[in-house]
Amino acid sequence: MSAPGWLASWPPRLRVGLAALLLLALAAVAGPWLAADPTAVLDPAAARLLPPGASRVVVTRSDGSSVVASAAARSGDGWRITRLGTTEELPAASVAQVGRRFFPLGTDIVGRDVLARLLSGARVSLGVGTLALVVALAVGVSAGVAAGWAGGVVDGVLMRIVDAFLAVPMLFLLLFLAAVFRPSLAWLVAILGFSSWMGVARLVRGQVLSLKSREYVLAARAMGAGPLRIAAAHLIPNALTPLAQDAALRLGDLILIEASLSFLGLGVQPPAASWGNMVAEGQEVLADAWWLTFLPAVLVALTVIGAALAADGLQQLARADERTR
Amino acid sequence: MVNARWRGRALLALLLPLGLAACGAKPPDEPRAARAEGPRQGGQVVAALYQDITTLNEYQSVNETNEIAIIDLLFPSLMVEQPDYQLHPPSFAPRLASSWEFSADNRTLTFHLRPDAHWSDGTPITAEDVRFTFTIQKNPNLGAFGLEIKDYITDVEVVDPHTARFHFSRVYPYQMMDANDGHIIPAHAWGKIPLDAWRSTDFESVLVTGGPFRVASHVRQQTLALERDPLYWGSPRPYLDRLVFRILPDTASQLAQLVAGQVHLVQSIPPQEAERIRKSPDVEVVEFPSRQWGFIAWNNRRPMFADRRVRRALSLAINRKSIVDTVYRGFARLANGPVLSTMWAYNPNLPQLPFDPKAAAELLAQAGYRDTDGDGVLDRHGKPFAFDLLYPSTNSMRQEMALLIQADLARVGIRVHPRPVEFTSMIARQEAGDYEASITAWDEATKIDLTAEWSTPSSTQGTNNIVGYSNPEVDRLIAAAREESDYTHARVFLDQAQQLIVEDQPVTFLFESTQLVGVNRHIRGADINSAGVLFNVEEWYWAP
Amino acid sequence: MVAWTLRRLAIGVLLVWLVASATFVMVGLAPGDAATRLSDPRIPAAARERWRREFGLDRPLPVRYAAWLGAAASGDLGISWTFHRKVTAVLGEVLPNTLLLTSLGLALELGGGVVLALVQLRRPHGKADRLITLFSLTAYALPTFGVALGLVSLFAYRLGIFPPSHVHSLAGESATGWPRVTDLLQHLVLPVTAIGVTGVGGVARYLRGSLLDERTEHYVLAARARGCSERRALLAHALPNSLLPLITMTGMSLPFLVSGSLVVEVVFSWPGMGQVMYNAALGRDVPLLLGGTIVATVAVVVGNLLADVAYAAVDPRVRA
Repeated sequence: MSAPGWLASWPPRLRVGLAALLLLALAAVAGPWLAADPTAVLDPAAARLLPPGASRVVVTRSDGSSVVASAAARSGDGWRITRLGTTEELPAASVAQVGRRFFPLGTDIVGRDVLARLLSGARVSLGVGTLALVVALAVGVSAGVAAGWAGGVVDGVLMRIVDAFLAVPMLFLLLFLAAVFRPSLAWLVAILGFSSWMGVARLVRGQVLSLKSREYVLAARAMGAGPLRIAAAHLIPNALTPLAQDAALRLGDLILIEASLSFLGLGVQPPAASWGNMVAEGQEVLADAWWLTFLPAVLVALTVIGAALAADGLQQLARADERTR
Repeated sequence: MVNARWRGRALLALLLPLGLAACGAKPPDEPRAARAEGPRQGGQVVAALYQDITTLNEYQSVNETNEIAIIDLLFPSLMVEQPDYQLHPPSFAPRLASSWEFSADNRTLTFHLRPDAHWSDGTPITAEDVRFTFTIQKNPNLGAFGLEIKDYITDVEVVDPHTARFHFSRVYPYQMMDANDGHIIPAHAWGKIPLDAWRSTDFESVLVTGGPFRVASHVRQQTLALERDPLYWGSPRPYLDRLVFRILPDTASQLAQLVAGQVHLVQSIPPQEAERIRKSPDVEVVEFPSRQWGFIAWNNRRPMFADRRVRRALSLAINRKSIVDTVYRGFARLANGPVLSTMWAYNPNLPQLPFDPKAAAELLAQAGYRDTDGDGVLDRHGKPFAFDLLYPSTNSMRQEMALLIQADLARVGIRVHPRPVEFTSMIARQEAGDYEASITAWDEATKIDLTAEWSTPSSTQGTNNIVGYSNPEVDRLIAAAREESDYTHARVFLDQAQQLIVEDQPVTFLFESTQLVGVNRHIRGADINSAGVLFNVEEWYWAP
Repeated sequence: MVAWTLRRLAIGVLLVWLVASATFVMVGLAPGDAATRLSDPRIPAAARERWRREFGLDRPLPVRYAAWLGAAASGDLGISWTFHRKVTAVLGEVLPNTLLLTSLGLALELGGGVVLALVQLRRPHGKADRLITLFSLTAYALPTFGVALGLVSLFAYRLGIFPPSHVHSLAGESATGWPRVTDLLQHLVLPVTAIGVTGVGGVARYLRGSLLDERTEHYVLAARARGCSERRALLAHALPNSLLPLITMTGMSLPFLVSGSLVVEVVFSWPGMGQVMYNAALGRDVPLLLGGTIVATVAVVVGNLLADVAYAAVDPRVRA
């Protein structure tokens, strides 16, 4: 199978990076069809902290509750199960269903399926992270370009706003918000975005300041091009490289920061999973169940690596364009 | 510790798992090797502490949960409260006071102080110090708790330098406890400090102590090193030369250093770590029932929880035993009622609410809840039975509980939204009544008084009754118990009050905690179980 | 330039006032106060109200604000409600600890980043480049507590090379002179590494990216056409220009220098600003919080001012 020409001309980093991101996005989208209910609490005493690859018998009772056993067999008119090292008899009438279940990535502290939580967490974390990144970029790029291009008072005012945002202890703003509003994903995206646009703004402003005195911009200006046009044609494309690098790393930050918002009551609300809160929950039992922290952390790292490689590839592509121009 | 009963700062234990205020049952057998070798002088024990102490003057301000156990090693109290509250109100052993007696009418209590007692600078400890301490405790501008504890003590009279007489306005079972509350502070050193400068004084720079240990060095946020005071007048005198507190804010670090032998004492091991720590050859895990207990607070003022049948149904529908065993890994007992099962006033004949979802469903139906729209959630007057369940966001065990409660209640058609909340915000919301339900825990005093927690909240008095529970008959019984001067008579009223409270189920009683202490095996002679971790630290010794 | 700097400083003072005021209002509006936090619900309301009076919390917010502003303007930041000592004394104690840790961490991050980027650029897309990319990205994306705990369990508990926590060992606390310094250095290794390792990836990547861009710029190409070596062209011409985003980043790191890393401080029991401010926030210790906020704001103002000055110095085309 040979790749089409346009794909082959892409730098390897771009291909690898995009492939990683695509894979994660696919997992996020297909998650609900791939794994069990990520919030189902089975039988915590017997099913918690199972290592990856474990399998157990799940006995569903007629009242909807479930019992997790290491073995189960029919005996007379009921079931004989082995649970936590002891044998119990369950009358057949109280049992609705018996089946063996495989936990490919183990279970968490209340016995929930880690694979299912990673997949549904992908949805939440990638969704929230990406949207928050979009907010941060939108606000940050606008402020940065405006400040860098206009200079003078506009620059001064915008940059002092950046300073103020950097200095205000966000904790209290967030505590206040948490007390007034019910937590929701929209809020989460807004809060994450608006608390991380400042770096983008300063970065873009710096680039614009440097670029606007370069020959081609001066030339465009001399030819009477308006500021918006120059921004679109020269400034933003040229500032794109550091911006893309910044965005790739920032995405990872945002995914992990979400977990610290949970502390203030503003994060993804339980029982929903996010990679951030999985990492934080796993921290409590790091010594006993490393995989609870390790697996979501690896996925965050994979996201960052994918995004950063894609950014590298884009840069290469842009340079190649420039050379052939 | 000894005087921790008022200061067992409830709720704080949720955030900082530092349960110094703990009492318990019978002592474990002392390791046999200890007896063979016998105690020896010398050695150093390093204990882990979550945060540094901020003051060594317990009357300086308001928050000495962390400080009181250490203050107890540095300052004398009149007597030592004994951990025998399972049988009767606590009894007392001599410390600064060698003996005491009540007057015939029980309205005055006279303490005879040890004539050889002195401060670390050599000045004798006298009745003047006792009186000075009392005036500080009663000073309304200092904000210490003393004012309320000493409500019925009208005066402390200096009979002679070694005799102090407490005058009471009434006779009640806790006279000795209230007289003893708080450590004696040095009048000659601290009496010179103007009271309006009291708050901002660094008492470590004017430190005069009078306990078995004194401060050797204090590097803030790092190390508080105590050393045996060679001039200590009391008995027993410590075997250990040094007792060093290392500040380690991270539980994982505390446990790792305990296992590695860099720290010899960890005062609170999380239940989920107990098995792992037990496997370490150098560490012994000692457990004892603490006075912390937890419950689900239903805001009784909300129409949803105003009906007793609904609250009983909630308790019946939650598999409390299973939740407590699961979350605490067996290191907790099921709580049954408003008095801890380890205390003398506990009513052993309380009716138990079993796990019975069928009975719960019937009660809910009686209260008018039905699933009319077939969405699997009960409703009444067109409103679904759904609520937010708050818990402190820093506590993973509360989160586990919330998830299990959610699962149990879902099966009877009640929708629970678990909501992690920043700790201070959660208390603020509870105080304001701005919540529906919450998982709460607090430390109980050794003094039994149900007024603040279970009496109808009055507009003038403070209250711990965060659920807004109100039952006039319970109010009457609690007041009657308070008026009794004899605890055996008070017990009759307390038994009935407990009965009624359990029937009303203003809260769902969940658990009574077990405290797990990690002790290096070189430490011998430790009687960790009763009045607190450091209760008999004078008798600890280091066996190499 | 002098007038410009003075004007920026004046605006900086204004900013400090604005941020502190906004913080004051937010702390006032956030649920709970110092008495909520410190009190046992069993304490009668009378006792709690006494404490509120003690802290002046019984007065309305504007009155409290006016009182605080008046004192702060005359340089009196008040007394911490939790430490019972002057706010300046508490901050003065922890700030040096934080600065020591964070400045070394930041130096490792920047130095390591520059070195890694230059190594990567010797052969872009070569093996070393790819390996370093993978390493620095992974380190960057890992949660800080994971890196810190990993370092501790490997180097402190398993190998026993470095101490796991604190600024000094028990013996080091009472030592003086050289033994005290070496004790301190040993204790610095792991926390500094934890900060440096998690940040080095960011620096390396910015630098690699912009250096790759600069290589194609006309002046670098011209320099190479003039016979400059690739290496010289990079160091003499491309690096200074690539420093711009790096300067921005460093300027923005100045708040981090003074506010510290809570996670690293907790894991290593390092008494710094991160822990103190976190506890002040949970305990609603208003004077301490505002003191810390003022310090952080000053750091932001100074950091970005320095970054702007450095911009102008490095790139003469930028007239800020």
